[in-house]
Parts: sequence; C-alpha cells; structure tokens
Amino acid sequence: MVEDRFRRLRTLLTARRADQSASVVSLVCELCVAELSISGAGATVVSHLPGDESAGMERGLVYATNPVSAGLEDLQLTVNEGPCLDAFASGGPVLVADLAAEGARWPAFTPAACELGAAAVFSFPLQVGVVRLGSLDLYRDETGPLGRVEMADALVLADLATQGVVADLDGHDVHDLSWLADPHLELHQAAGMVQVQLGSTTEVALLRLRAHAFSSGVPLAEVARQVVARTLRFTEGEDGP
Amino acid sequence: MSIARDQQLASTFVTLADTLVADFDVLDFLGLLTERAVDLLAVDAAGVILSDQRGGWRPAAGSSEHAHLVEVFSAQTRQGPCLDCVRGGVVVASADLTDDSGRWPEFAPAAVAAGFRAACAVPMRLRDDVIGALTLLSTAPGAIDEPSVTLGQALADVATIGILQQRAIRHEAIVFEQLQAALHHRTVVEQAKGVLAQVAGLGMHESYTALREYARANQRRLSAVASEVATGVLAPSALLDAPSTGSGSTESTR
Repeated sequence: MVEDRFRRLRTLLTARRADQSASVVSLVCELCVAELSISGAGATVVSHLPGDESAGMERGLVYATNPVSAGLEDLQLTVNEGPCLDAFASGGPVLVADLAAEGARWPAFTPAACELGAAAVFSFPLQVGVVRLGSLDLYRDETGPLGRVEMADALVLADLATQGVVADLDGHDVHDLSWLADPHLELHQAAGMVQVQLGSTTEVALLRLRAHAFSSGVPLAEVARQVVARTLRFTEGEDGP
Repeated sequence: MSIARDQQLASTFVTLADTLVADFDVLDFLGLLTERAVDLLAVDAAGVILSDQRGGWRPAAGSSEHAHLVEVFSAQTRQGPCLDCVRGGVVVASADLTDDSGRWPEFAPAAVAAGFRAACAVPMRLRDDVIGALTLLSTAPGAIDEPSVTLGQALADVATIGILQQRAIRHEAIVFEQLQAALHHRTVVEQAKGVLAQVAGLGMHESYTALREYARANQRRLSAVASEVATGVLAPSALLDAPSTGSGSTESTR
C-alpha cells in the first residue's frame, strides 16, 4: 500500500540524512540508484529568482551520482531538448526504455546521450502544479523499462525530492508529505487565491501557506480550508496572514 | 431505451470521439464525460478517480465542482464503493447509503450528509489493471438500473481509451505518463480556479466553468488555459469579462 511505500522510502532517506549533511535531492538520487534498476541518477533544481516565474528551465543546482548523469543533466540544458524538458511540457514523467530508438524525437540529445553511455532514460518533473522546481533524471546503461513496482517507487522518490526542494526553499522541514498527494484539492485552490491576495507567484503563495501552517501549528489542509472559505486572508507582510 | 436517450447517446459518443484528437486534454475529456454521464444515466452526479500509481487514488474530474461534491469524491478515494470497485475490478453499488454505514463507516454518512442516497462505481479497466473508476451518485435511494450500469461501463471504457490516447498498444509506460500528466494538470486547474475565485469572488464551480468556457470558446486546452491563468500570462479579466458563448454542452440541470 501507498503508506508502506512512503514510509519505507522515507525511512531510508532519513537514515541517509542522519549520516550526512547532503541535500535531500542528492540523497534521493543516491536512493534511486540503490532501489531501482538504474545506473545513475541526476537532478537539476531550477534556480529561483524572486518574481521570475515565467522563466523556463533555468540552470540551477545540479546533482548527479556519477559523471554520466552529470553529463546528461548538462546535455539537456545545452541542446535544450530531451526527456526532462518534455516532462515539463507534458506534466508527467517521460519514460524511454530504448533511447537509441528515439533519435527522431530528440535529434541532438539522443546521439550525444547514447555516446555518454545512456541506453534508457526516465525523467520525472519535480513540480507542484505551475510551480516548477526541477527534474529527477534516471538512466540505465542497458535498455529496458522500469518494472511496475520500480515505477511506483520512482514516483514516491520524485515526491520526496519535490518535498526536499520546497523544504530547502522555506526552511520548514515538516515531516509531512501528505500535502503533495493529498486528494483534498483545496491546498492548490488556496495557493491560487493567496497569490492574488499577495500579488505574488504561485510559488510564493505556496511557501506562505506552509509558513503560516508551520508557525501557527495549524495543519496545512486546515489553513487551506480557511482560505477557501474566505475566513483567512493573507496580506503582503513579512509573516503570517 | 427511449428515442431521446438513443439520440443523446449517439451525440455523446460523437462528441467524445471528436475530443479524441491528437492534442486533446485528458481533464477536459473526463469533465465532459462525467457531465454526459449525468444526463444519460439519470443520475445526479458523476466523477472519475484515477490511480496515482503509488498505490493511492485521486479525484480527477466531476460533473460539477461544487464543494460538497468535491468533498464526496475526495472521501471516496479513502473508502467507499469507488475504492472497493478499483480494488476488486468489479462494479460496486449501494441502493441505499443510509443502510451501508456498516460497510463504509466514513464514506456512507459523508455521502448522505452531502445529499446522496445511492451510488454505483464502475471500473476503468485496462487488460488486467484497473486505472480508475467512474462513480455515479443519486440523490434518491434505489438501485441504479442495469441499463444505466451497462452504459456507465461503456463510458468508463471510453474514458480509458481516451487516457491512452488510442495508443494502448505501445507501452505500459504510456499509461504512467498520461495518468501522471492528468493528475498534474488537475493541480494546475485547482491553482487557476483559486486565482479566478479570488479575483472575481466566484465559487470554485463557477471558476472552473469560466476556465472551461474560455478554453472551449477559444479552442484551447483546458490545462493550457489554466496554466496561463496561474502564471499570470493570461489575465483573469479575459475569462471573466467575455460573455459566455456556451458550447451547448455545459448546461447543468442541478
């Protein structure tokens, strides 16, 4: 079940965190290599310039478990095409079990990626609706799909990476992933409302909602409910609504 | 089956088939499908949940975006006929939810409190997998009749085909890509609804309708319009000022 998968992977991640001071995203990359039938994992975290939401895939921090993954991250940004950019465009993962067969799809990326040593690539966008945070990109030196259980694990690992990036942004490392997968859609409605109240981006609104939940001790879902019910309104101050 | 219903049915499948073009929008498609299900199947509400492929389920579309209905569709991702349906891959029904609080101690009272008395969930099957379910809700008690269930299953099958964009033969990977993209777009739509709700003081259902009407009138994808609204590329006034041209398919009788 979903809870078990979350719990198991989060426990593994927490164990790794205890040992090191590395960022969550880099630890997720390592965990991907340990848990999935892949050769390497990399991630690019979009650089965040305040008020610069329209910018596409800005080069930001790059993590990679080996030089091939680092090369693949670099390559996509250089040639401006590839699975991670397609993942952003579609909003879902891009899963390519046989990269060599996709020459027509990415004429510049494919030959160079194969040359680097990638035979299969799997990209997962790290995003919360329109808030683009980065991408998690896996590769294998042999062709073949990810298994079904691996796919589910990969999606959870991408969720953990997303959570890690957001926590890095606002400094609130709440051990609560439910807001990412919460079927209560009110959080996202609330983010849209708060961005108008603040005259800000969706990202800033999301961070402010989280900050308020954190500082007031009210669960995020409840904060969102109050915003949607129009009993809580945010203003352009530094802290709190 | 009445002639009127036959005509309605034919028109529904033509409309749905029209939607299945290369660049179609899964959410728009599922929204249309749930609306038509309400009209065709003589039920009061319909919704689709999809697998999140991590082991959980998420609401993807509903015949209305009114809060009470959204709440019921959210609740049934945790318990209820819909969850039993996706787990077993079979139709699960309740003729009277007030009798089923033993079966679904959380869902049944919540659905009744929201005004619903009968429910039926049909699976969206893809070979051996269940990728989601179509749930039908009635405000009156009584089993949803057999022809409606059969027709509901046909609509659920169409929904499955729609999600696969007719490329079912390719890979399992396509299902993953499409479902995750649809769930992502749902989040974007919620963010855009929030923007419109705040700017114009609208309810969430009215905000959703404004998004969809604009998308249809301009022949744009719902998710693309929603993304532009949420990122400030498209001014809310563009959606709110224009008189609704109405494509004729969105009138709700509820």
